Amino acid sequence: MSGFALRRAAQSLVVLLGVSLAVFALVHLVPGDPVRLALGTRFDQATYDALRERAGLDQPLPAQYLQWIGGAVRGDLGVSFRSGEPVTALILERLPATLSLALGSIVVALLIAVPLGTASALRPRSAVDGLGTVVSQIGISVPEFWMGIMLILLFAGTLGWFPAGGYVPFARDPAGWLHSLVLPAVTTGLVSGSVLTRFTRSSVLEALSAEHVRTARAKGLGPRAVLSWHVLRNAMLPLVTVTGVQLAYLLSGVVVVEIVFAWPGLGQLALQAVEARDYPLLQGAVLLFAVVFLLLNLGVDLLYGRLDPRIAA
Amino acid sequence: MRRRTLLSTLALSPVVVAGCTTGEGVDTGDGTGAEAGAGGGFVAAISAQPDQLDPHKTTAYASFQILENVYDTLVVPAEDLSMQPSLATSWTTSPDGLSWTFTLAEGVTFHDGSPFTADSVVFSFKRIIDQQLANASRFATVADVVAQDPTHVVLTLTSPTPNLLSRIGGFKGMAILPAGVDEATLATKAVGTGPFVLDSVSAGEVELTRFDQHWGERATLPGLSFQFITEPAAALTALQSDQVQWTDNVPPQQVEQLAGDDSVELGQVASVDYWYLAMNCAKAPFSDRDVRRAIATALDRQAITEAARFATARPNQTAIPEDSAWYYDYAPFTTDPDAAKALLEGAGVAGPLTMGLMVTSEYPETVTAAQVIASQLEPLGITVQIQTEDFATWLDRQSRGDFDAFLLGWLGNIDPADFYEDQHRTGGANNYQKYSSPVTDDLLDRAAVEPVEAARKALYDQAAKQIVDDVSYVYLYNPDAVQAWAPGLRGYTIRPDKAIDFDEVTLPA
Repeated sequence: MSGFALRRAAQSLVVLLGVSLAVFALVHLVPGDPVRLALGTRFDQATYDALRERAGLDQPLPAQYLQWIGGAVRGDLGVSFRSGEPVTALILERLPATLSLALGSIVVALLIAVPLGTASALRPRSAVDGLGTVVSQIGISVPEFWMGIMLILLFAGTLGWFPAGGYVPFARDPAGWLHSLVLPAVTTGLVSGSVLTRFTRSSVLEALSAEHVRTARAKGLGPRAVLSWHVLRNAMLPLVTVTGVQLAYLLSGVVVVEIVFAWPGLGQLALQAVEARDYPLLQGAVLLFAVVFLLLNLGVDLLYGRLDPRIAA
Repeated sequence: MRRRTLLSTLALSPVVVAGCTTGEGVDTGDGTGAEAGAGGGFVAAISAQPDQLDPHKTTAYASFQILENVYDTLVVPAEDLSMQPSLATSWTTSPDGLSWTFTLAEGVTFHDGSPFTADSVVFSFKRIIDQQLANASRFATVADVVAQDPTHVVLTLTSPTPNLLSRIGGFKGMAILPAGVDEATLATKAVGTGPFVLDSVSAGEVELTRFDQHWGERATLPGLSFQFITEPAAALTALQSDQVQWTDNVPPQQVEQLAGDDSVELGQVASVDYWYLAMNCAKAPFSDRDVRRAIATALDRQAITEAARFATARPNQTAIPEDSAWYYDYAPFTTDPDAAKALLEGAGVAGPLTMGLMVTSEYPETVTAAQVIASQLEPLGITVQIQTEDFATWLDRQSRGDFDAFLLGWLGNIDPADFYEDQHRTGGANNYQKYSSPVTDDLLDRAAVEPVEAARKALYDQAAKQIVDDVSYVYLYNPDAVQAWAPGLRGYTIRPDKAIDFDEVTLPA
């Protein structure tokens, strides 16, 4: 078990190093000059040169990489060109909003997916199954920005139940936090929930036809016991994987939904970094996303061991 | 994209379209907590997040929307954009125009309690000059800044600079900071003399509180907050449901509909911005003046303006808008495809011509305008290839001269030099189209140092005529500033330079 975990951790480190190189190279390959952008449209050569030197962009690229990765190892991701603030501070500042939205969305998604997916699987081709198919088709195919705007117009505009946007920190006002979280979490949760509904349905179906379930039924176990002990537990395995992937996706920021709901999360930050060619911020954000994906994958793998003791063996 | 006829009642003069009564409107003010916290009940929704709040380093409009309420400058543009006293109460100019002495207001304190003196001015201006910060070029003719005594500052110049006041006070990029302020923290902390103190800065909002020791009139609101709402539908819904009380995130296509909406009050005024088409004067066949004139003749500016801005802009063949004291009434081109064709043939351009037109998704109106321009040039045998770039790439290509033509605008201009000098002087810092005319250069150089205002205007008029005739730019239109606020909000004035001052605002009862 610990050998397995160690091996996975070492692999993750190598992947991270590769990611850092790739990110650095890509970011610098993209056309566009951050200094020119920072100056706005009115250009002045002397100001341009001074700013370029201050940003360290007059150094050769390998030197810039070594300096960046050296700092990153010590937890210093550099200073944003755009705002002049440390990259780590900018990311940490937005972490609570992103975590709130990601967790809220996963809760919404699971609340939709597990009941609907299970019910659909238990009665294939029934009305419930049809409903599940329609809901997940809508969730997957309707664009998030449209869904978000419709929810705003209805629930913030006409009905006035929820704010149209903005994030209220939990520490300042827990009720306000929940209030501001509902609409964006429902918007992203619908999409994730649709994906998860399909997975729940197919894995429950698969588990239902498995031999041990037939055996359990033959032993005379009631349908409730069969479902909770023999079906759902086995069906969880693929669901955990997909939920992990969905969570990683949500944690790296859902740009469109964040913009629609004026949600100050990591997705907006990354987008601003791309638009401003803010190299340190962009590199820092992508590196963080890579870490999140690696950690969640690691977590999913280890969780597998708990759910299915055969894997950890 | 569907075009609509102009609502000319809206488009002709600065107007404020007011909702009739404050009657209905959806109100969710049930204290749910999601609404403004420390903002004192006033929330302004701006459409972008500021990059940083150091007034000498930022170039983003979003930053200046906030800084406008926090910092002061020596002089300040009035609503008619004439320069008025602010931290400087008066000034005198030496007979040769090379030395300006400013008398400073007394009893002014910064937000940190330190007094405002001549040293503050010297420190602030030298910071911009010595560190070559974003607005250093505004001091191009300034040789030195000296504190004569605590209440007098002398600026010595290398050449007469009649527009010095708009250069050092046109916007809050020239803000006065206390000498020796901790520069490293200025990106998120502010030490100004303005009516509001910068209280907190977070990724979602910025909060200001009233500065009770303000040297001028004390602000009416105890505080206010700025929220960043990019999506216009969300901003308008937030305004209509009283979650915010002011926004500038009003898309032009919504204006007509909002004018009849009682739940918002709409403000619209001609701005000092202009949008234009530039062709590469260093690249054949656009290096030929007649080719550029042919294109200027083929374009229907009215149609372009309506497509790009609906009823919130007016066509103009020069840069300076009609309401400005510097306006020059000159419109030599009338849309005439046949005359345009004749000009092209005269220039020896036979057969089909392809013109790449570079636009940017950063300013969606350039993309729309380009589509209309493409259809208008088609009858001339010109195939317009619309090249949509993100702004970083766009700027890159512009600075390399890697374009046939591009569309963009210049925002926040006050003095005629802002409109013409950098863009059209040979080798000018923003003369990307590589226009060069000895006549224009001479006129611009003389205008830059001409102390008599009437004579200065006459010179700029001649320069503008030359620029338009040579088609250094094809000027297209001046857009309006459009903002919306809660019905019954008082004490706010929408301005042509889009500076937003909230110090006299009172909320609806």
